Amino acid sequence: MSSGDSESGGGFNLFDAEERVLAAAARLQRRLTNADPDTRQGVEALTEAYSRSVREQRRLVKVSDRLQNQLANLNQELGKRRAEAEEALAQLKETQETLVQAEKLASLGALVGGVAHEINTPVGIALSCASHLADSTKRLAALFEADDIGVEDFQAYLATATDTARLIQANCERAAALIGSFKQVAVDRTSSERRNFELAGYIAETLSSLSPKLRQNGHKVVIDCPAGIEMDGYPGALSQVLTNLVLNSATHGYDLGQSGTLRIAVEQPAPDQIRLVYSDDGKGIPEEYRNRVFDPFFTTRRGQGGTGLGLHILYNLVTGPMQGTVAMESESGGGTRFVLTFPRLIADKS
Amino acid sequence: MDHLKIAATDRSPDVDFDFEAGVFSLKGESYPEDASTVFGPIFAALDRFFSSADIRELRFDFDLIYFNSSSAKALMNMFQMMENAAGRGTKVVVNWHYAADDETMKEFGEDFSEDLENVTFNLVPSSSAA
Ligand SMILES: Nc1ncnc2c1ncn2[C@@H]1O[C@H](COP(=O)(O)OP(=O)(O)OP(=O)(O)O)[C@@H](O)[C@H]1O
Ligand SMILES: [Mg+2]
Repeated sequence: MSSGDSESGGGFNLFDAEERVLAAAARLQRRLTNADPDTRQGVEALTEAYSRSVREQRRLVKVSDRLQNQLANLNQELGKRRAEAEEALAQLKETQETLVQAEKLASLGALVGGVAHEINTPVGIALSCASHLADSTKRLAALFEADDIGVEDFQAYLATATDTARLIQANCERAAALIGSFKQVAVDRTSSERRNFELAGYIAETLSSLSPKLRQNGHKVVIDCPAGIEMDGYPGALSQVLTNLVLNSATHGYDLGQSGTLRIAVEQPAPDQIRLVYSDDGKGIPEEYRNRVFDPFFTTRRGQGGTGLGLHILYNLVTGPMQGTVAMESESGGGTRFVLTFPRLIADKS
Repeated sequence: MDHLKIAATDRSPDVDFDFEAGVFSLKGESYPEDASTVFGPIFAALDRFFSSADIRELRFDFDLIYFNSSSAKALMNMFQMMENAAGRGTKVVVNWHYAADDETMKEFGEDFSEDLENVTFNLVPSSSAA
């Protein structure tokens, strides 16, 4: 402590200097007891005013410190809350990613299970036919070795061989066809070509390749698409999507002999956004099936050529390479509608 | 005298007083709950230093981002000590650092310097990291 002034007991005092001045003033006042009253009263008043001012300063410092302290605490609290919120957000994102991943795995699981199930049938038939053929051949060989073979035996064997060979061939073809459509499920973007194309022209081209099939049933196709929309994307994906929609209408929408109108209407809600509405005026999809039509292997024509992959492939194409969304709208008896939205120019994804 | 070094906390500044060299620095933020815990040791050391040492040249660097009212008062007291020493013939230089875009911190420096006649007071803007 400096020059013998340690009356504050070694403690720290912000107003040390002011207190020393006040002590000096008190000493001065004592020395002035005999001075003239005016001087004495003047010094007294000054001292009193200074002392009040120091008290005021202390009070102000205290009040202001308290405010600044509160502010600091609030800031700290705010920072903490923000950090918490950010962490919660990060966690949410992580959970979301996990969910998406889990969903992908689940649909992959369903797919693999379905593939096994679907392939199993034709392969099983081919296998039992093959073993039946082997048995018959063994029996015929035994008769031949024993030199006991008759014309009827040989004729019966020929009939069996012809039948089983046909069944084996048909079922192997069915299996091969199934494998062909499974391959489409795993849409490989890089294998189909990305390029610029004009939308209306491309739609017309795709539909004309389908027209033989449509003409057979007398269906009419109406395309309403403004000309000159230049796209950048995967035309192959779009073509596959339209094909699946049209074939579904032809397969599921109408009873034999009945014909209808299939519509493709394209709008541009924004310069770089395409909204394509596909609709038919057929039977529609019953309420209870509506949230299952995009599931792999959901079909109402099992055993009659349906695998239930058409709309699943469509969903994967629209949400995958086409970077869009698809929704199904259908009123029972009032036709079926699919609303597709996708960008005019797909974004580059590395 | 021993070198006085106190690390910064989130509410108190970094203290680095090299008495031997006559170089002193206060850096960071200062809004402690209790001013005496931060400034008690600082003033005890400065009191001892100014009443004993016989150094002809001193340099003080203040690089503060934020301080509360008690800290402002404590700073004023420190400047008074320097002014007294300078009046007795010690050469005292104060460098008041502030972020170039912090007008308030610059004004505080100007305020403090008004009471100083014998101390050389430099306002030093630094391009803030932002
Ligand atoms: N335009 C439509 N009208 C009525 N029902 C439809 C229509 N499109 C799809 N469906 C229903 O949705 C089901 C699923 O269609 P999806 O294309 O996925 O499979 P699928 O046509 O049965 O078989 P695949 O396309 O693999 O040959 C169909 O079985 C049918 O019940
Ligand atoms: Mg289909």
